[in-house]
Amino acid sequence: MLRRSVLLLALGWALIFGGVEARGTETVWSGLVIANNTAKPDPVSPDLTYLEETLKDWFGYNQFKVIGQSRKVLVTGAEDWLAQSKYFSLHVDSKEGNDKTGYRVNLKLFQERNLLLELDAKLSKGRPIIVKGPQVGDGQLLLLLVVQ
Amino acid sequence: MKTFEEKWTAWIDGELTGAELAEFEASLPDRAAAEAEKRGALKLQSFLKEYLPCPAMGNEEFFHHQLRERIAAETHVDDPAESDAGSPVWWPLGRLIWVGATALAIFAVCTIFVMREAPTADQSQYLSQILNARVDPVVNPNATITKFESKEDKVTILWVEGLQSLPSEFAAK
Repeated sequence: MLRRSVLLLALGWALIFGGVEARGTETVWSGLVIANNTAKPDPVSPDLTYLEETLKDWFGYNQFKVIGQSRKVLVTGAEDWLAQSKYFSLHVDSKEGNDKTGYRVNLKLFQERNLLLELDAKLSKGRPIIVKGPQVGDGQLLLLLVVQ
Repeated sequence: MKTFEEKWTAWIDGELTGAELAEFEASLPDRAAAEAEKRGALKLQSFLKEYLPCPAMGNEEFFHHQLRERIAAETHVDDPAESDAGSPVWWPLGRLIWVGATALAIFAVCTIFVMREAPTADQSQYLSQILNARVDPVVNPNATITKFESKEDKVTILWVEGLQSLPSEFAAK
């Protein structure tokens, strides 16, 4: 009886703290987006739906096409990943030292092998970072990073 | 001082005696009608006793046990000295463990909820921050960098102007 009680107790605690730990992992979506204006804009990617109006308001374009993306599950908080298109790559390096205000990340935008832009940021959950990159043709390259 | 109804009931049951009986019977306005009513009541009483016996108690032992327990408990409450002197009732180890574990679990759950109360699970209360940003001044000498934090849109924007424009084929996936 006592042995069974202790086992059940241990299982209960494992479930409680396992649940807490499981909820602690988060996914970061990073994307390379080309924004431009067209007569018949394509529907926006589901990853950008909730940001569509914000993007339109800020950048004045009506079409946003994802040309490269990456979805990374953060386990330790100190990971790196790459979102790539044919000519651009966005390298994201998540550093240790995260706290409740967000993840510390370092972003590098490469055009092929050339480093165009580098930034350090504190990325908070559900609060995207948008970077206005170079003009590409009649549109604009945007970089997006969001903890989902 | 008994009311008339009390005396009436006692008279029917034959419980009035002596001066009280004489006084009551003298106060009756119609003695014959009263006697007839008394006979009727007694007849009804005997009829009920005969045909409607008390139902037998099915759980007599349990009822008695409960009654004795209640009496014993009330006796202990009435006499605190006795209850203190009595042997204390200890919970078994298994129950103690369960109660302790339950209390700890409730505490842990409450703590977790309080710690995660605000902001909501989907969004941080803090806007993302751009700590610093740079472009290669040799490749893009005219580039300027501006940071915006829009609380309304809940986004942080790094606005880079003056980067070298690229042809449209660079928009390929």
